[in-house]
Amino acid sequence: MANEKVDVVIVGAGASGSVFAAVLTKAGKKVVILEQGPDWQLADLVSSDFWGRRIKPASGPFLLEGKNPFGYVYQAGWGVGGAALHYFANFPRLLPNDFKIRSEYGRALDWPISYQDVAPYYDKVAQDVGVSGDAKAEEIWRPAGAPYPMAPMKTFRNGEIWLKGFEAAGIRMVPAAVAMNSTEYKGRPPCIYDGWCHVGCPTGALANPLVTYLGDAKKAGTEVRPLSTVTRVLTNAQGNKVTGVEYYDAKKERQVQEASVVVLAAWSAQNPRLLFNSATDKHPKGLANSSGLVGKYMMAHFSSGTWALFDEDIQSYMGTTGAQLMSYERYAKTSQKGAFGSSFIVAGSALKTSDLGGFANARLDLFGSDLAAFMKRAARGLTRIGAFGEELPNIENRIEAASDKDEFGMPFAKIIHSFDQDAVALWNANFEEGLKIAKATGAKEVWSARGNMPTIHLMGGTIMGANAGDSVTNSYGQTHEIANLYIAGPGIFATAGASNPTYTILALSLRGAEQLAAKWSTVAG
Amino acid sequence: MHDIERRALIKGAAMGALAFTVGGGEVLLTPRAARSQGVPLRTLTVAQAATLDALGETLVPGARQAGISQFVDQQISIPAEEALLEARVLNVRPPYANFYRAALGAVERASQALNGQPFADLSQAEQRSLVDNMRQNKVDGWQGPPGSFVYLVLRSDAVDVVYGTMDGYTALGIPYMPHIVPTKRW
Repeated sequence: MANEKVDVVIVGAGASGSVFAAVLTKAGKKVVILEQGPDWQLADLVSSDFWGRRIKPASGPFLLEGKNPFGYVYQAGWGVGGAALHYFANFPRLLPNDFKIRSEYGRALDWPISYQDVAPYYDKVAQDVGVSGDAKAEEIWRPAGAPYPMAPMKTFRNGEIWLKGFEAAGIRMVPAAVAMNSTEYKGRPPCIYDGWCHVGCPTGALANPLVTYLGDAKKAGTEVRPLSTVTRVLTNAQGNKVTGVEYYDAKKERQVQEASVVVLAAWSAQNPRLLFNSATDKHPKGLANSSGLVGKYMMAHFSSGTWALFDEDIQSYMGTTGAQLMSYERYAKTSQKGAFGSSFIVAGSALKTSDLGGFANARLDLFGSDLAAFMKRAARGLTRIGAFGEELPNIENRIEAASDKDEFGMPFAKIIHSFDQDAVALWNANFEEGLKIAKATGAKEVWSARGNMPTIHLMGGTIMGANAGDSVTNSYGQTHEIANLYIAGPGIFATAGASNPTYTILALSLRGAEQLAAKWSTVAG
Repeated sequence: MHDIERRALIKGAAMGALAFTVGGGEVLLTPRAARSQGVPLRTLTVAQAATLDALGETLVPGARQAGISQFVDQQISIPAEEALLEARVLNVRPPYANFYRAALGAVERASQALNGQPFADLSQAEQRSLVDNMRQNKVDGWQGPPGSFVYLVLRSDAVDVVYGTMDGYTALGIPYMPHIVPTKRW
């Protein structure tokens, strides 16, 4: 079935797709978003670790391979709002040293843009969605920019108690920049610090897409079609333009949505899968893949967590899931001896009992009466810090089409991922430093949260670059090969940095969407 | 805001309990209530439920009475997209019943091989020893998903039903502080 042609069809109603929808709809374009999952509303965001699992995929069409398989479900989105419906809203930005690693160190990749190209969009996004923090305090590590629109969030004893340890290690901590309201902002209420961010904030205090860009887009006229699974991007006979997408609707009936521009905002692994499945005789390796780089350079973050248990009541349950305090003190690429890559440090988060981040998992070795005793002590006395580490882009970390197919006949994809020695060395160095910091706090017990090396925040797969030979898109997310095909989201990152990616996703999406609106006639014409 | 709060409370109250089949019809119950009312199993066998009860209780005291078997049985009997199991975020591929059958079968086989009895009939010390070895992938002749992963998933289920509820927070003496109340107990 064919639908009326629109100006823009966006695949995915998460963070990046929402920005493109808001900008382009406000620019007068007719925009349709096709979203694979349900149409979640704020009232669906039940305060429960059980119910919070519903807004994540029930497995997906991905097979996990490599030495460090990318366990993606915990952090993935499923439905309107995407992963940003349950993200922690930590809003650190990338720093200037992230953009020129190859030039400065002869390894990894350069971005085709610099920090200064993105900085104005960080400032715009902060105003758009509402960020609390202390920009001036951060400027000991980064160039000056606009102040954040809200003062920092409250801190609690479970965060403050770490300051002594950080001071002993020479690590300066500043208020965490977060996309949450410390005060009322644009009619949205202030946070009440109950720590349910990770299952979705229904009050609007946390800037999820429903209360920010997607809400704006819908008010301006964007149409969102939930339960719509896109299977292919369609091209003209010459293969030089995209003409729309094929998808299956809620009744699992095939539909075609024609559009002048297609924006793929379906996640770092799903975008390559779609491009592979859109192969034609003109694009035998898949769309936008003449370089062979679609699906390549997948990257993840990893964290080195450290726990500290105190006898005093430090209100472990109060705060937000994200961070109260942050530091770029170890963000230089060679900060940790014998390792390479940035680290971003956070402290202070509200702890819940269950789920992956729950404090029952702080001592996975305990069970039975030992676990019961630990739970009693931890409920009011446990706290943690984390150091996120940077994985460098490696062409062997990749997405490949698999032979299994989904219910629509679309091949599954493999996510093949292994950390290299630089990443392992950085992970270990951050554990060692975390323990030193924890011991200096005077805690009763301290230990490292060691287990399998975690994979967090999948990035890359459709990286940006200066030309078609070394990348898939330009700095706006526009594919080198087909001018009216855009890719949005962390898939276009050329390197990963160590900062939580959503702030950068929004900034790059805003930059790309504004460029598309400004150059509409040449792109879509 | 007032509108959000009102809708939230209405919907949360309606959604919190799980749908159990009783007398041919569906009723909303907590797993603890389902256990106390003797709600029939839908997918697990009686023997599998007995293993799961004993395993859950070994992992987290209180899991049996909190209805771990009823919880898992109900959850693996509904479409995967609706499931609230930790298995979901641990990347277990649906249908989740396959994993639980394999995991419980592996525990039973290990128990029979080591002790010549069903896991549910072992002494507490024997149960604890088997679980500790399973946790470390040290059970000789183990056949099934890796023991450490079985431990992780089933321990998570037991933690969920004992500590993940509003009652669980009360028992630990910390506030639950919901925006949207799951239900009185969930």
